[in-house]
Amino acid sequence: MHSNKQAFEFFSTMLSKRWIVSLPVILVFIALISGISSLQKDTSSDAFIDPLNPALVANKKIEEVFGLSDPLVIAIVNNTGTGIFTPDSLELVDWVTRTLSKQRNVDPDKIISLATESNIEGDSVGMNVEEFITSTPISNERTSWIKHAIDHFPLYQGLLVSKDHQATIVVAELLDETESSNTYHNIKKLLDDAPLGNGNKLFIAGEGAVSGYLSTYIDNDAKKLNPLAAVIITIILFICFRTLRGIILPNLIVILTAGSTLGAMALFGVDFYVITNGLVVCMIGIAVADSVHIFSQYYTEIASNPSAQRKQIVANTMANVWRPITLTTFTTMAGFLGLAVTSDMPPVIYFGLFGALSVFFAWLFSITILPILLSCLTPKLSKRFLHKSKDTVQRSSFITSVGKAILKRPHVSVWIGAILFLISLVGANQVTVDEERIANFKETEDIFIADKTINSLMDGTYYLDIFIDAKDPEALYQPEILQKIEATQRKLETLPQVGGTTSIVDYIKQMNKAINEDDETYYRIPNNPQLVAQLFLLYFSSGDPTEFEEEIDGERKLALIRANVARNKYSNNKLLVEEMSPWLAKEFSDENVTATLTGRIQVDYEWIDNLAKTNTLSVVVSILAVVIMASLLFKSAVAGFLAFIPVGLSILIIYAVMGISDIWLGVGTSMFASIAIGLGVDFAIHTIDRMKELIANSSKPWAEQLIVLYATTGRALLFNFLAIALGFGVLMTSDVPPLIKFGSLVVISVTTSFIASLAIVPSLVMLFKPKFIYK
Amino acid sequence: MNKFIALSLTCLLTFNAQSQDWTGQEIIENINNRDDGQQVTRSFKIELTDRRGITRTEVTQGYKKYFGDQKKTVIFYKEPTNVRGTAFLTFDYADESKDDDQWLYLPALRRVRRISASDRGDYFLGTDLTYEEIKKEGKYDLSEYNTKLIGQENDNQQLLLKVELTPKTKQLSEELGYSRLITYVDPNIWMSRKIEFWDTNGNALKTIENLHITQIDGYWTVTEIAVKNHKTQHTTRMMFFDIDYKAQIRNDMFTQQQLKRGLR
Repeated sequence: MHSNKQAFEFFSTMLSKRWIVSLPVILVFIALISGISSLQKDTSSDAFIDPLNPALVANKKIEEVFGLSDPLVIAIVNNTGTGIFTPDSLELVDWVTRTLSKQRNVDPDKIISLATESNIEGDSVGMNVEEFITSTPISNERTSWIKHAIDHFPLYQGLLVSKDHQATIVVAELLDETESSNTYHNIKKLLDDAPLGNGNKLFIAGEGAVSGYLSTYIDNDAKKLNPLAAVIITIILFICFRTLRGIILPNLIVILTAGSTLGAMALFGVDFYVITNGLVVCMIGIAVADSVHIFSQYYTEIASNPSAQRKQIVANTMANVWRPITLTTFTTMAGFLGLAVTSDMPPVIYFGLFGALSVFFAWLFSITILPILLSCLTPKLSKRFLHKSKDTVQRSSFITSVGKAILKRPHVSVWIGAILFLISLVGANQVTVDEERIANFKETEDIFIADKTINSLMDGTYYLDIFIDAKDPEALYQPEILQKIEATQRKLETLPQVGGTTSIVDYIKQMNKAINEDDETYYRIPNNPQLVAQLFLLYFSSGDPTEFEEEIDGERKLALIRANVARNKYSNNKLLVEEMSPWLAKEFSDENVTATLTGRIQVDYEWIDNLAKTNTLSVVVSILAVVIMASLLFKSAVAGFLAFIPVGLSILIIYAVMGISDIWLGVGTSMFASIAIGLGVDFAIHTIDRMKELIANSSKPWAEQLIVLYATTGRALLFNFLAIALGFGVLMTSDVPPLIKFGSLVVISVTTSFIASLAIVPSLVMLFKPKFIYK
Repeated sequence: MNKFIALSLTCLLTFNAQSQDWTGQEIIENINNRDDGQQVTRSFKIELTDRRGITRTEVTQGYKKYFGDQKKTVIFYKEPTNVRGTAFLTFDYADESKDDDQWLYLPALRRVRRISASDRGDYFLGTDLTYEEIKKEGKYDLSEYNTKLIGQENDNQQLLLKVELTPKTKQLSEELGYSRLITYVDPNIWMSRKIEFWDTNGNALKTIENLHITQIDGYWTVTEIAVKNHKTQHTTRMMFFDIDYKAQIRNDMFTQQQLKRGLR
């Protein structure tokens, strides 16, 4: 089959000058891989946001001004009926607080608990600021006093102690958020030795623990299952080719491709993000696909000409497959680049850019190193290809029988495809954009249980913050501004998503009440700015100079309103943000004071919202890029359209499955479409290219000629499909929800692309006989 | 050059001789025996700077007078405007078991409010100094500390004796908020030039520096103090001026009525 003499000559020359070609390629690989150790992991969710995004900038500012970050929360729960107001429980609070303060990554000055906070109360002569827990053991009398004090300190109800007295929390700020996963585990271990006493239970959650632990959690399970995927792919390769080289060499190409791409990421200082795991899967899929096609052709060549020289066999192989492999490289690269140019989220941009680069690497190694290595080995017949010479093709296997059926009734495939398309269109419309980080953990996981327990008892461990910025120093002593802050708190508290709110106003009101003999009617903002200033002075007569640092700055011009939210779920956050944004715009419209919505809830809302907006555009542009590239390569818009059908259908089916089974379009699932493009385009391009070649080189009836497609290219595509689908399908056995979804996606997308490429595309060609096929 | 070496050597020998003369306990006794006068009138400016570098300034006028072994202090705020007229009165009793009495006058409320007795480790009026440090004015109760001379330092041609003090009990350490301190004592005037503190976990806590010490009316007086809290990065700078040990201070200056009347 010397369809391309020039290509044959080219590859023959290449094989005769092995070192000249392979040495630079190997050197490039070594240069790239040598820097791989500097590849940094960045699994934070902030990585997904443009660093200049106003919500992120505001969040960094509140971290800087008020010294706040996403905390780790430990709850002491006693639901045996006695509640937490027992000496046992309170001593446990003290123990947990002390233990945390000695923990390396915990800021000892930023722990909030009953053991660190003070009561503010008044009497007939003055105001007392007294720590709730001063020493241990705690007497029954002191316990009753603490209970009474909390019952008369509205700020702490729901925030520090649950309203039903069943729980109290210890909130710890972390010094280095990138270390949060380790800190979570260390603290969890330390708490195993806690003196629990009667009926007390401990739970650890909080955004600091959830976000840090999530990536490690997924990573750990992926680390266990990914090698299994590699083993399964290797087994499939063995079943397909039944030779050692058929297993080792494709794996080598995978290693070269993945190593070079990750090395290039390290070289350019690009971090390894959570979704980069998806890129690794794409790299494996693409590298295996190229190898499978080369090997299928290689064994076909040996079977058809067993006496040929090794170099001649390999050159023949390459002359036949270089074109479809190169075409799929161009189209897949176009798809990935389309993704990169439409996103403004750094991890997605890099997914696109390095995805494209990995496709190039897979191509480079597949058309240089692989044939060179093959040419060094003595050609050996694969038992699987014994009877697959051209003449015997027609009486070949199962796939040929299926092919015959498809070609006999092409309209059936087209109709099934059309019906599937319509059903999927309806299903895909059901997809909802949502994200809840905690939902990525399985429901039996400690952190999941802790999150749900704490958030059902307390005001909430997630925060929506409002950053108040007044024009002049000491402006926050002004009653009008304080009243605006208070009104905003009351507004927030009317929203069902908000458990409670805190601001400096709560302390000012408590101090005003205390200075007025604890008269409840004085639990309000004083009318006199001087009195507000003097209340602060009164408090600081013995208070820590940094006491109100988390609520107000030293100049008294910046303040923070913090709303506690029990669920950090995008759909909840959206309602919250959409309700509060216009409120703040209206209430803080004058130039003397501004209010900015920020905090984890706002930041997460922004980027998921952004993801929702850009996802459709990314998918459309990626597909268009594929279509345009295919049209250019085949010099036909119809060819572009045909290439689009399998990948378009697979994306639509993925969205339909997501819509029907209530899988949200979120952070992890947003990359599904891109992976579908990465893994799916190849099938159609190989099919179209082979059909074109078969029809152009023969005058037989199309149906008869196209049967060869199934026995040759179809067979390679089947191997490719089986390796990827079964290999990554193993992820479905995970009990980590994101990995189950990921595994299912890969199976659905590869299956759809494979079937559509071999059923719908040839059927359409049969029915419409497009010119580009035979010209 | 030889002369310089000889001079340095002489200095060193002199310093050694000087430090060898004293034990840690004797050095602290010398500090404690220093006469601070029976009364003082002074103004002071307090600069409180947070970790972002934002500074709040307060200006006050203070009076201190001994009535036997009872010390009475009154401070009137002059700036900022919002707290002008606020006044703070303290009676310190020599008997440690007796809580100090403290009152604060809030002009906006036109009322004197009694405030709860402060713990020794509580911060004083929003500064980085604790009540203990304000009350003891650089002196130490030797029954509460173990002392040890740990060396000497030559700072600007000035010999400083390094004395380490550790609270004798864990409870005392927790009350004070630190596990040990090192004071750099100037043996010429028996005052600390610098004091470093470590918290109960052994982390660097804060450093107090007596930046200016001068003799006024025959008493060695600190006129500028800088405190840096290494954990919170909060700093305090106090500058004293118009210091007068001789001016008569009326006894009724230290009454609740006077707090209300203010400085008029």
